[in-house]
Amino acid sequence: MSTEEIVAMDHVSFKYGRQNVLDDISLHVKKGSFLGLVGPNGSGKSTLIKLLLGLHKQQDGTIQLFGEDHRRFRGWSRVGFVSQKAASFNSGFPATVKEVVSMGLYGKKGLFRFLTKKDRQRVEEALEKVGMREYKNKTIGQLSGGQQQRVFIARALVSDPELLILDEPTVGVDAESVQNFYTLLKELNEQQGMTLILVTHDIGAMSSYVTDVACLNKCLHYHGGIVDYEENREELMNRMYGHEVNVIEHNHDHHHHSHDHDHDDLHGGRPG
Amino acid sequence: MSAFWTYEFLRYSLFTSMMIGVLAPVMGVFVVVRRMSLMADALSHITLTGIAFSLLIGRWHPPAAAWNPVYMGMVFAVGGSVLIDRLRRIFMHYKEAAITIILSGAIGVGVVFISLADGFNTDLFSYLFGSVSAVSRTDFFIILILSSVVLLLLVLFYKELFFLSFDEEQAVASGIPRQRIHALFIVMTALVIGLSMQIVGILLVSALMTLPVAAAMRFAGSFKQLFIYAAVIGEVCVLTGLFAAFYLDTAPGGTIVLLNTLVLVLSIAVSKAAGKEAV
Repeated sequence: MSTEEIVAMDHVSFKYGRQNVLDDISLHVKKGSFLGLVGPNGSGKSTLIKLLLGLHKQQDGTIQLFGEDHRRFRGWSRVGFVSQKAASFNSGFPATVKEVVSMGLYGKKGLFRFLTKKDRQRVEEALEKVGMREYKNKTIGQLSGGQQQRVFIARALVSDPELLILDEPTVGVDAESVQNFYTLLKELNEQQGMTLILVTHDIGAMSSYVTDVACLNKCLHYHGGIVDYEENREELMNRMYGHEVNVIEHNHDHHHHSHDHDHDDLHGGRPG
Repeated sequence: MSAFWTYEFLRYSLFTSMMIGVLAPVMGVFVVVRRMSLMADALSHITLTGIAFSLLIGRWHPPAAAWNPVYMGMVFAVGGSVLIDRLRRIFMHYKEAAITIILSGAIGVGVVFISLADGFNTDLFSYLFGSVSAVSRTDFFIILILSSVVLLLLVLFYKELFFLSFDEEQAVASGIPRQRIHALFIVMTALVIGLSMQIVGILLVSALMTLPVAAAMRFAGSFKQLFIYAAVIGEVCVLTGLFAAFYLDTAPGGTIVLLNTLVLVLSIAVSKAAGKEAV
């Protein structure tokens, strides 16, 4: 693991209206690490990721990606993103697996450029990596949830990102696929040195794969190596989930409650 | 059939129809998959307002009567699309209301313009339901140029439109400029509506954009296929409809849409028989 920082967030806070979702978060992710970002539902995990990706407008604090202020950052193809399953895509969409994976190259290509033969080769390779090559001509709606998710991973991998962010990628995916999926992520991290941020509320399943853990519930309760985390686990859980009870008690407004599932319009993030 | 070669105006109508037969469904693919079919309908009604406005100006200021009202219609459609977009941001959680607001507002204004411009006449009737005799040589060349521009833009921005249609959040996250592409898309839609209405008329124009796509969707195995099937269905219906209307002496717009509906019903029946359910 090198000392180069891929993500550097300092004193980041975020509010939906008057509702405080993230409070003074400072989180640094080093190159080559595999960070598990855990926290209960509604703890602001997805909001944090959306801020990082520029999908929400930044309010307080600074965020740097690859050492650059993320508001001026243009290298989005260096960042791969896999959102929650069925988050925003329309499963009746008549697109083939190949077509879906190709989308992963669009940002990198830029306007007025078409896919080359080499690009199509890369699409096949990405599908091979996730074991979905034989399904390349099926439409996305014909696949199971786990298979769709693997296609979306291939889409994130096809542009060879240096940082891969996954937001609850295993929701609705069967247990066996989840294991395979984590193994794939570990390989990407160990063999290709890819930096990964995995958002999940299931701490147990990912603990044997990640190198670091960050526990979030509005504020950052812990961030460090997985070994330290395992040692202090019980105390941490009490602190985090104790906090959550308070959040729920003071929060009856449905809209503000469901931040982790907020797939409404992108709240004024990146302009066009 | 020979009449189409004897009379110049029929020939231009035929060429125009052939272009529209492909252009409308191809544009319609994006309109449908972005769930904006209703938007196309609203824009076509705004086009009517523009046409009524143009007729009104022609009455007040006779030299302006020589303008083809369709161009004013297109200007209104583009303006209306900007308004819809603004309203969609104001009614963030009730986006479809923006469409209804503009649609009914446009009809209201349009009807007032029409009454000021001397009420309904045959001219207006042909804009409402389409007319093959409405295409002049100049119109034809303007339609040819605008159609080529729209097709070129579709090819150039295919990647971006495709990604945004499939998964807007992911598209934005990968750096695609959503707002600019969306604005371009709306302007293109407005143009295609303005162009297509010369043949099928305002009331039927959204049918030309959505029906072939809906039929093609029952069979398309990929996004590329969807384009091809929609274009083929659109073209066949437009040409068959045009000739049928000529010989049966029926309204061409209505005949074309009727054929499109027939193809759609058949495609649903056939694909159901083949075991395909909802899309």
